[in-house]
Amino acid sequence: MHPDHYRHTELPPSTEYELYFGPNHPGIEGNYALKARLAGDTVVALEADGGYLHRGFEKLMEQRLWIQNIALVPRICVPDPVPMEETYARAVETLGGLEVPERAQWLRMLVLEMSRLTAHLFYFGGHAATVGLYTNMFWGVSDRDRLLDCFEQLTGARVYHMYITPGGVRRDTPPGFLDSLSEVLDYVEGRLPKFDDLFFDNAVLVRRATGTGTMDQAFAIDYGVTGPNLRATGLAHDLRRDYPYLKYAEVEFDVITETAGDAYARTLVRRGEVIESLRILRQVIDKLRSVPGPIRCPLPNPLAWRIPAGDAYTRTESSKGELAYYIVSDGSAKPWRVHVRGPSQMHAVQTLEALCVGARIEDVAQIMFSLDACPPEVDR
Amino acid sequence: MPDYPIYRDPPEQCRTPDAEERSLWGRTLERIADHCRARSLFVLHYCTGCGAIELPPSMTSRFDLERVGMQPMVTPRQADLLLITGYLSVKTLKRVILTYEQMQGPKYVMGFGSCTINGGMYWNSYATVKRLDQYLPVDMYIAGCMPRPEAIQQAFLQLMEKIDSGRAQNWKEYYRRYDHYLGEQQALFGEQFHTPTDVIGEARHYSLFGPETLGEHTAKLAKYDLYHPGQGAVDALEVKR
Amino acid sequence: MSKSLPTPLEGVFRRVPGVRWRQQAERHLRVELSEAENLPALLALLKGEAGYRHLSAISCVDWPDADEFELVYHLDSYTTQVLISAHIRLPAAPGRYVSVSGLYRPAGFFERDIHEMFGVQFEGALDLRPFILTEWGGPPPMRKSFDTEGYVRDHYQWVDYGPEWLAELEKRGGGIVE
Repeated sequence: MHPDHYRHTELPPSTEYELYFGPNHPGIEGNYALKARLAGDTVVALEADGGYLHRGFEKLMEQRLWIQNIALVPRICVPDPVPMEETYARAVETLGGLEVPERAQWLRMLVLEMSRLTAHLFYFGGHAATVGLYTNMFWGVSDRDRLLDCFEQLTGARVYHMYITPGGVRRDTPPGFLDSLSEVLDYVEGRLPKFDDLFFDNAVLVRRATGTGTMDQAFAIDYGVTGPNLRATGLAHDLRRDYPYLKYAEVEFDVITETAGDAYARTLVRRGEVIESLRILRQVIDKLRSVPGPIRCPLPNPLAWRIPAGDAYTRTESSKGELAYYIVSDGSAKPWRVHVRGPSQMHAVQTLEALCVGARIEDVAQIMFSLDACPPEVDR
Repeated sequence: MPDYPIYRDPPEQCRTPDAEERSLWGRTLERIADHCRARSLFVLHYCTGCGAIELPPSMTSRFDLERVGMQPMVTPRQADLLLITGYLSVKTLKRVILTYEQMQGPKYVMGFGSCTINGGMYWNSYATVKRLDQYLPVDMYIAGCMPRPEAIQQAFLQLMEKIDSGRAQNWKEYYRRYDHYLGEQQALFGEQFHTPTDVIGEARHYSLFGPETLGEHTAKLAKYDLYHPGQGAVDALEVKR
Repeated sequence: MSKSLPTPLEGVFRRVPGVRWRQQAERHLRVELSEAENLPALLALLKGEAGYRHLSAISCVDWPDADEFELVYHLDSYTTQVLISAHIRLPAAPGRYVSVSGLYRPAGFFERDIHEMFGVQFEGALDLRPFILTEWGGPPPMRKSFDTEGYVRDHYQWVDYGPEWLAELEKRGGGIVE
């Protein structure tokens, strides 16, 4: 029995069908859509559809003063906002010839590495949820919250700190902050064996993530993959080591690599980076206890602050990969052009489209999360 | 000064209640139902903007919204509460309207962050919508960029109280003033904008047909012949209340 | 000036006509090409002979006074470790250029983005369909001629917020200076 208005249509026989994945879908990281072509439950082709988070940041930044843009930049990548501030600030400093005081450089490294920790803990939770390990999601989010409390102590905000300003940082550490941060770091380190039990050594994860979304090194370089995803294919490239900024040349840390290049390898790289971040943070805390000095260089009246004409391309290793800002100044009180190159622009579009082909539909979410693709960075 | 207030008074004041509602029995039932509704809100799992980053902390162990009976829900048809977590780009708004229309009444909308109230820091962005309540009836706003989990919790508790006391009736506005909302949507998306949802039919079904349900904007839907093919679309749209 | 130029780069730059380069920052070279059509050859040489396998980004800058678009190709090498930014200028009309996505796959994304935001055409690009602005009917928004505030005034409504303290502040000359 058909309803009265049922219209039968003849279509050519096909075993393939189209499935819209997102934007309203819990397996999608953020507000992003994928259009999958499936045969059975195997992906034949995948097409990314972004723009749901488009705010026109690059245009907005042209409309605002150099100093006003500090409030705008962290909003470009929500889970990992600090590298955005750092990259923007460093570009402005390059253009304006500002010298960042030493203590401010250490403070910036402190927040950068804290942000990397929060992003990676969030990632553990997100990746675990895509393979059905929800307890781990709860753990990752609540451990991240301890770091957010430290952020709040230092900057006054949980998520968007707006802490790094061109020429330095906004404020110094409050009394007792370094001790409470050290306690949180010890706590996070003590949690890692438990994360191993629950997540990294979990048979569910090992079996589902091994061999999923595999890329080799040549593919990764070809597709412009950067950051932990590139290091998971065996190439030890890290901007913190290869193009050191701030005081990264003065701290000891290893560049973590894996060779398999699959979702499991990408997760393991991030696990290693958590340990390295803790190592860097401890060295930074030691330095901050001894390095005195101002926390920012003198700035002109921010409402009439003109930056000399020129252009600068600055890059930062964010938790997701190579983050870069290309800023052009025409010598006026506002930027002439700001181009944001987020690492996810490479990961979430072409790479994801290519990696998902041949994967099963239930692994698409896992591949997307394992690449740590961040849609707001793509859309800007 | 604004032409119209941002927050609307409960709509009961400006219409005549129908017979069923007037009866004590109906009111009592509704009161009990509202009491129950307030205690098991299913939140649609849709992250429309950056405010969504504070939802995992609110939902999970630390702030734990489940203890007040709230849970994320994956499909709009089973969700009660639509959270607009931050700015809405025009592209997202279209999907949000579709999602909202798919939800079953009673349904509630909460706007997160300053950008849903009046554009917030994206006030001069060409891509984002400035005011959410132009396109959807909103029950509650949380100010801030971004709202902290404590603020989110506070807002949820207030919304629960509002539902419990029967004041969260804005979803009925959407049916009663569908022509107005459709007009705003068409002004943004173009004259040809329409959703596959039979809002007018639903309004009739819920007895929520108001004087503004049909109008010049809904008249444009007639040519699409969406809901009653063959029956003559114009007839269908002009069914008496 | 060539004191710090790595050897493979020296040879590459000599073989492409019209290349001027200078050290912009530490381990960052700014390369300007007087002839835009020589850029693909430069990129091919850089990729083939100097190990520049990573295209970091393509940035586009609108210069309405000169009626030109500036395209900047940021390249990195995992071995030489000197960043190169290659600048070319295109006339704004017709605003056409060739795609380099055959050489560098990431160019596919950036070209699509620039096409969408600036309206520059790339011949032979992988995909120039709209990605972000699929529901957009207006002109390419990143062009300087597009007035975002005017567009907002025409298309959206917001409640004006003008408290007394702000009016006083503005009267005293506070707020944004041009």
